[in-house]
Amino acid sequence: MAKKKKTKNSGSKRPVAVTVTSTVIFILFFIRIYQAIIPLIREDFFNLGFSLPFFYNGNLTQYGKAVIGSFFYLLFAICLIVVLISFLKMKRWTWVFLMSWVGISLIVSLIDYFYFGEPNYMIMASNVVIAFTLSQSDVQRIFGIRSDISETIF
Amino acid sequence: MKPSSNTPFIPVNSPDLEILRKFEPVVHFTKGEQFFPFQVERYVAQCSLWAHYPDGKEEQLVKQEEMDLEKLIEQRPANFGTIHFLRFIETLSLSETAQVLAAQAQLRRKIHNTFRAGMGRLARGGFLPRLVDALFSLSLLMRGKVSPATAAAAELTYEKMREEDEKYTYYGRVVRQNGWTVLQYWFFYCYNSWRSGFDGVNDHESDWEMITLYLYEDDGRLYPEWAAFASHDFHGDDLRRRWDDGQELAIANGHPVVFAGAGSHASYFRKGEYQAEVSLPLPSWVSGLNKIWSRFWTETLGQPEGKPFRIPFVDYARGDGISIGDGQSKSWMPVLIDENVPWVGQYRGLWGLFAKDPVSGENAPAGPMYNRDGSPRSSWYDPLGFAGLDKTPPPPQELSMLQENCEEIQKRQEELGALIPKKAGELQVLGMKLKGLEDHPHLAKLYSLLEKRIVTVGDELRVLRRERFENGALLQGITQRLELLRSGHRDNPRSHIHHLAVPVEEVSMRYARATETWAAISLSLLLFALAALFLLAPSFFWVGFVVLIFLGMIAESILRGAFTQTISRISLVLALITTVILVIHYWQYILVVTLVVLGIVLMLQRLRELTG
Repeated sequence: MAKKKKTKNSGSKRPVAVTVTSTVIFILFFIRIYQAIIPLIREDFFNLGFSLPFFYNGNLTQYGKAVIGSFFYLLFAICLIVVLISFLKMKRWTWVFLMSWVGISLIVSLIDYFYFGEPNYMIMASNVVIAFTLSQSDVQRIFGIRSDISETIF
Repeated sequence: MKPSSNTPFIPVNSPDLEILRKFEPVVHFTKGEQFFPFQVERYVAQCSLWAHYPDGKEEQLVKQEEMDLEKLIEQRPANFGTIHFLRFIETLSLSETAQVLAAQAQLRRKIHNTFRAGMGRLARGGFLPRLVDALFSLSLLMRGKVSPATAAAAELTYEKMREEDEKYTYYGRVVRQNGWTVLQYWFFYCYNSWRSGFDGVNDHESDWEMITLYLYEDDGRLYPEWAAFASHDFHGDDLRRRWDDGQELAIANGHPVVFAGAGSHASYFRKGEYQAEVSLPLPSWVSGLNKIWSRFWTETLGQPEGKPFRIPFVDYARGDGISIGDGQSKSWMPVLIDENVPWVGQYRGLWGLFAKDPVSGENAPAGPMYNRDGSPRSSWYDPLGFAGLDKTPPPPQELSMLQENCEEIQKRQEELGALIPKKAGELQVLGMKLKGLEDHPHLAKLYSLLEKRIVTVGDELRVLRRERFENGALLQGITQRLELLRSGHRDNPRSHIHHLAVPVEEVSMRYARATETWAAISLSLLLFALAALFLLAPSFFWVGFVVLIFLGMIAESILRGAFTQTISRISLVLALITTVILVIHYWQYILVVTLVVLGIVLMLQRLRELTG
C-alpha cells in the first residue's frame, strides 16, 4: 500500500482560535454573498440579465453600479472560500493575507466611521474577532509567524 | 584552591605604583577617536573656573591664563545650589565658530582619522523610534547642550596639547577592603564627543572613566581574580568578569584588555558595536500610561514587548584605532592618587562646562570622588559594592569561612537536638495537666492560663523544629559546596551575571542600502506629505496623517523583512480601537449577551452537578 504523503502541518493540532477564525470567515462569506445578491434583486437582474446599459452619458447607471458592485462582492466571497480552505490547512500565506486584509479593512471601516458615519458594524466585528484570534501566540506559532526571538519594529 | 600557573602575580608587599603597573590595562580605541586619556594639570591650565548661582547668574572666578591646580582647590564659600565648573572652551563668536569647524575638517583629513559608521543607528531601529529620536533631537534645543563648535574647538585644542607633549595618563588608586586589594584605574579625557563625533547620546566637556581590578592574597602574593569595567546600562554583578573567563575577558601578557567606546569612552570587555537604548524623558503621567499599555500588550494580549519610546544609539568599541599599554605603540604614564591628593579630594565641582541640561547628559562630570551634585561617588567609597563583590570573600578565605560556618551550624544542630525533646516533654506535661483540669468549673481560670501556655510552648517547639529542618537542608548544601571547593572545582565564571553586555551582531538586511536611505529620508518625506495634505485637503488631515504613518510602517517593514510582525501589530491596535467603538455603540447588547452566556454556563455547571 502506498504511503500517504504527510504535509508539514497536517500533524499539528488545530487551536480553537483557528476554528473561530474559520467560522467568522464562513460568516463573512455569506455576508459578501448577501451583499452581492441584494443589489441584483433590487435591480431585477435575474429577470433582465445583461439587457440594460451600464453607462449613460459617460456615467455609471444605477443598474451598472449594482452589477459591478455585486461582481466585486462575489469576487471577495470566492477569495474568502479559497482563503478558508488554505487556512484550515494552516498555510502560512493565509495568515499573512488575512492579517493584511483585516488591517486594510479596519482602516477603511474606521475612516468610514469617523468621516462618513456609515460603517458596516458586522464587518467591523468580524474583523476584530479575526485580528484577535490571529494574534494568539499559539496560532502564530502554528502558522510559523512567531519565533522565540521577534524583531522590534515599533 | 591554588591559582593556575599562568595567572600573573606580584609580591604582596610591593609598592602600590608597582602593583598598578603590573596589572595596568591595555586599552584599544576605535578608529576616528579624537580624545585619549590625558593629564589633569595640563587640562586645568587650559580652563577657566566659573560659578553658576541659584538665581541663574554665572560668574568667572579664575581666568584661563591664571588657572592651575592650586587655584582649583581654593575654598570658595557659596550659597546652597551654587555649582562650580571648569570651562575648557570659551564662548566662540560667529567667525571663530566658522574657523574652528573648518580647521577641524582640515585636521581630520591631515591625520587620516576618519570614522565610518557602517550600518547607521537610524536603520537599526524602526519607524517609531526614529520619530521619537526626532523628538529627542528637538529636546536638545530646549535642554541646553554643548555646541558642535565647542566640540571642534576642544578637538583642536586637545590635538595641539597632544602634539606638544604626547602622554597617555591613568590615575591609579589602591584600596584594601575585606581581604581584597582593589586597583582602580581612572582615565581623564578632555571631552566626550559621542554625539558630535559618533551620533551618540551626548557631548560634554571632560570625561572620567574607570576600570577596577580585584586581587586576592595567597602565599604572600597578589593574584587578580575579577575585573570590573564601568559601562552604560549595567550595574553591580553585571559589571565584573572573572580573570580566567577567557571568552569574556581578554588578557594580553598578564594585562586586562579594554575596548573603549568611540567618543563615549565607556569600557567594554569585547570588541564590537553595542546598542545602547535611551528613553525619551517623558512626563510621569505619560510614562505611567505607557507602562499600563505595555502590561496590557504583553500580559493580556500576549504580544512580544515593543519599546516605542526607546531610541537606539550605537557605542562603537571596535578596537581598530590607537592602542595604549603593554606591548602597544603607546604606553602609559601612571599617577598614583588617593583622597589626600588635593584635586581629588578638595574639588567638588564639575570638570567642564555646566550646560544647564536638566537631565544632566550634556553637563560635565565631577571628579573621581564625587557625583555631579557633590555627593560621594559609590565606586570610590565602596569599590567592592560597586561591582557586587561585597558579598564574596577572596578565594583562599572562602574554604575556611565556609568550614567555620558549617561547624557553627553543626553545633547549633546539636543544641537543637537536645532542646527539642526537652520542649516536647514540657508540652506533653502541660497537656496532661490540662486534661486533669477538665470538668472542674472552679479551675476555669487556671485552665485558661494553661491553655495559653500550651499555645506559646507549642509555637516555640514548632520554631525549633523548623530551624532544625532548615539547618539540615542548609548543612547539606554547604557540605556539598565544601566538597566541591576541596576538589578544586570552580564555579561557572558567568553565574553571577544577570545581563551580559553583548556586541550586536553585524546587521545584514535584504535591502540594506535602500533601508539606510529610507531611514535617512523617511521622516522628512512624512513631514513634506503632511504639509501637502494640510495645504490641499485640510479636512482630511488627521485621516491622512494616520494613513501616512501606516504606509511608512509598511514600507519600513518590507525593507527590514519584518512585514508579518508589523502587520500583526498594526491590525491588533486597529482592532482594539474598533472594539472600543463597538462597545460604545452596542454596550446594551454586549451586556445582554454576556449575562445570557454566563447564565447558560452556570446552569450547565449546576445541572452537571445534579446529574452527577
